[in-house]
Amino acid sequence: MIFKPKFNLISPKKPFSKQDLGRHQAMVAPYALSGLPDPPPISHWRAMQQTDVLRFVRSLLPAYEVLGVQNKRGRLFLDSLLDAADLVLEFPPAVHSPKKFLFPHWDQLFRFKLDENILLEPETAAPPRIIFGMHPCDLHAVKILDDCLFEGETDSSYRAKREATLLVGVDCTPDEYCFCTSLGTDRIAQGFDLFLHQREGHYLIQSGSERGLQLLKTHAPDCFSSEPESPLPLQVKQCSNKTQFPFESLPNLLQDAYEDSIWQELGDACLGCGSCTLLCPSCYCFNVQDKLELNLQDGQRIRTWDSCQLDHFAQISGGNNFRSSQADRQRHRFYRKYKYLWEKHQRTACVGCGRCARECLAQIEPVAVLNQLFAETPQLTTGNSPGAEYQPQMAQILEVRILSEQDRLFRLRLSQPIHFNPGCFVELSVFGLGEAPFSIASLPDQSNEIEVVVRRAGALTQALHRTQKGDNIGVRGPFGNGYPLEQFTGKDLLLIAGGRGLLAIRSLLLAALARRQEFGRIILLCGARNIEALMFPQDLLTWHQSDLLDCRISVTDPQNDWGLSALDISYLFKDLELNPQRTVAALSGPPAMYRQVNPLLFRLGLDEEQIFLNLERHMKCGLGKCGKCRINNICVCECGPIFSYSSIKHLAEAIER
Amino acid sequence: MKAKIGFFDFAGCEGCQLTVMNLENELLQLLKLVQVVEFRELMTERATVLDLAFVEGSICRPGDRERLQQIRNRSKILVALGSCADNGGVNLLGSDRSLEVLRQHVYGGDLPHLYTETPQPLSAVVKVDYRIPGCPIDGQEFLAILQALLLHQQPELPGFAVCVECKLAEYPCSFDYGQVCLGPVTRAGCRAICIDGGSHCRGCRGLIDNPRTTPYHQILEKHGLTVTEILDQYRTFNIGEREKGS
Repeated sequence: MIFKPKFNLISPKKPFSKQDLGRHQAMVAPYALSGLPDPPPISHWRAMQQTDVLRFVRSLLPAYEVLGVQNKRGRLFLDSLLDAADLVLEFPPAVHSPKKFLFPHWDQLFRFKLDENILLEPETAAPPRIIFGMHPCDLHAVKILDDCLFEGETDSSYRAKREATLLVGVDCTPDEYCFCTSLGTDRIAQGFDLFLHQREGHYLIQSGSERGLQLLKTHAPDCFSSEPESPLPLQVKQCSNKTQFPFESLPNLLQDAYEDSIWQELGDACLGCGSCTLLCPSCYCFNVQDKLELNLQDGQRIRTWDSCQLDHFAQISGGNNFRSSQADRQRHRFYRKYKYLWEKHQRTACVGCGRCARECLAQIEPVAVLNQLFAETPQLTTGNSPGAEYQPQMAQILEVRILSEQDRLFRLRLSQPIHFNPGCFVELSVFGLGEAPFSIASLPDQSNEIEVVVRRAGALTQALHRTQKGDNIGVRGPFGNGYPLEQFTGKDLLLIAGGRGLLAIRSLLLAALARRQEFGRIILLCGARNIEALMFPQDLLTWHQSDLLDCRISVTDPQNDWGLSALDISYLFKDLELNPQRTVAALSGPPAMYRQVNPLLFRLGLDEEQIFLNLERHMKCGLGKCGKCRINNICVCECGPIFSYSSIKHLAEAIER
Repeated sequence: MKAKIGFFDFAGCEGCQLTVMNLENELLQLLKLVQVVEFRELMTERATVLDLAFVEGSICRPGDRERLQQIRNRSKILVALGSCADNGGVNLLGSDRSLEVLRQHVYGGDLPHLYTETPQPLSAVVKVDYRIPGCPIDGQEFLAILQALLLHQQPELPGFAVCVECKLAEYPCSFDYGQVCLGPVTRAGCRAICIDGGSHCRGCRGLIDNPRTTPYHQILEKHGLTVTEILDQYRTFNIGEREKGS
């Protein structure tokens, strides 16, 4: 699996401005005011007999539109209940989701009249409703809809229905398509007004909100005033269908799966019928269209469900379709469910209800897809032994090359091929001393060998310097995103390395030279304090003499054998001519170099998206856990260490210090 | 000034025109917007000029071509009404054998006054501006397309398959009942009326723009169909469309 850039991680996490904060509050305030079940009040438990439930629903019917599962034409539907006796509370997970009432397929936004040249009636207030009988997964799905539709500009049409609707949960029995246990959505602690827990021959009713409690008080007063029951622990279900990894790994699993062949397999099997998203309790993508009355005067603007699986979905003005293959559409669906929305809301946008798989003619099943991806991703194996992700594999030292007194190059052989992008790093371990991150300096050739350069500094690096050919050391990784080389194809490459920054740049340059014809000009600007600090002097001389690239070197120390004038790296820009439109700059070096070089690049006409900086110095545990690599709100080892300038320019800690 | 509209028919069952006439709830409103100037099933008058001509049926009898050409000449916009006019529809069912064999089989002898050619859709003879698919057409879709044309808008047909409307209506999948269904490759717009009626989709509205025939055929094979049987599924309504999908 090749490590792919993680740029999409960065964008949603802009730092909060005051303005944002205002919007955030605007988003939260009506929600909190609405009396929706968040935060939960002290929960209140009472026993309820089957007959009490029936009486409760009877009492609700005159005051509310009660939606419940019922048998119609031999099948079970969630629909408006006319007779409490029709209510089915034990129903299979195959019944379609309550989304159709909270976010209906045909939703009038407003009405208009053509002759009066516009508009008129906003959407009418939603009727007071109770959805009586929702499985935990569907209650979780409402949280996802809340996340998405209350975010930013609140969707008022959804809010009107949401606020006017009380949710009554009920226990369920998972079938072979359910995988709620893998996503933690088999149980629910809050997000409902009432919940009916099935016990032997009766129910325990749990209130989850003040509104729920009031409902019980008004419409089931006997139950309300009966003896409190002791609360049940969270009700956990059993599913045979499950993922082989914890759901928190999903975003990381997909991180590296963008180019996986599985999407093509799905695309080849998929009918593009859209059933998966239409049946999904949390998919909400929609179309807005006008529907005219036959008089051609009156009309309504309506919202209808759309599906990312349908042909027209990604068609943009001019007719181009930016996601025209079914493989890309399936990938988009999975990424949105398990990665993109996770990154935004820290919740997968899938609740494991299994409806998409249950009714997919092509038998595309999320659990199978995710497990297949997991099986292909050995570095994510964390499940078996606790702490396994911290455990290095052993690698043999094939060669130790002395680059200078301080620096040694180690050629390592791992037990299996290692896939990385230039700019990725590994953790090297010396047992007894610990581990430290090192950039990979070699060509990413998918083999099981890598080169790293260790500068002697502390105890660990000194110990590494003492190792010899044939010794074994610990290696963990690769980690990080690396430079987005695929984005660079067809462009001129301006590579700028300062000191040890050349390690990552060397890997990038070797990768580019291996596919030389795919790039335009390649320019390498390399600066260091002195000749000894030039990491690969021999390579630099070879490159300097090569026709394949333009390699320029500067050192600040006037005492040098190479006869270079003592000048810093900015001197190399003096007579640099390049076409800014077709150039990308990849930088790797200390922050001081970035502060010095970035303005020169802007002066040359490059824009912020064309400049990629390496923040490798921030790396620590590699897993995004230890918190040390966090710069302001960005976790470098998760979204970096390579960043476009535009994505980190707002981070004072990244470059300014 | 009301738009002048007319209805015409060639080889077909006239069910599409009947669908229009069955729009009782909307007809009075409709007549406030349009003037029906020619409609053989309703009236004897003829029109010299039409804004909109809705033409049902396939072209196969002697004189059909000329008559269609004349309708085209006096109509600003010509719309193919129903699958016979749109792609040949069920009229093409006999197209796998020679006309001689077919005549012998149907009429039991050589009856020159019943001679027809292999049926063709309107577009084989004249320029068709718009089409309303289906066997028969869907009345509401007819109204929506008429509305669009009256407002000088481009009428649009759904680009997605019948499955979408079937799921929205929460119908059970025909395949679950062991019935082969053409819904996954057939253009929506019918609100899955056949599935609602307990049957399966036979594809009367023609294929969607981008039918996923490869995965669809794989699914049919999984359900035990041979290649010939799969092609037979398309025969009822889609002989004229088959080249689109393969």
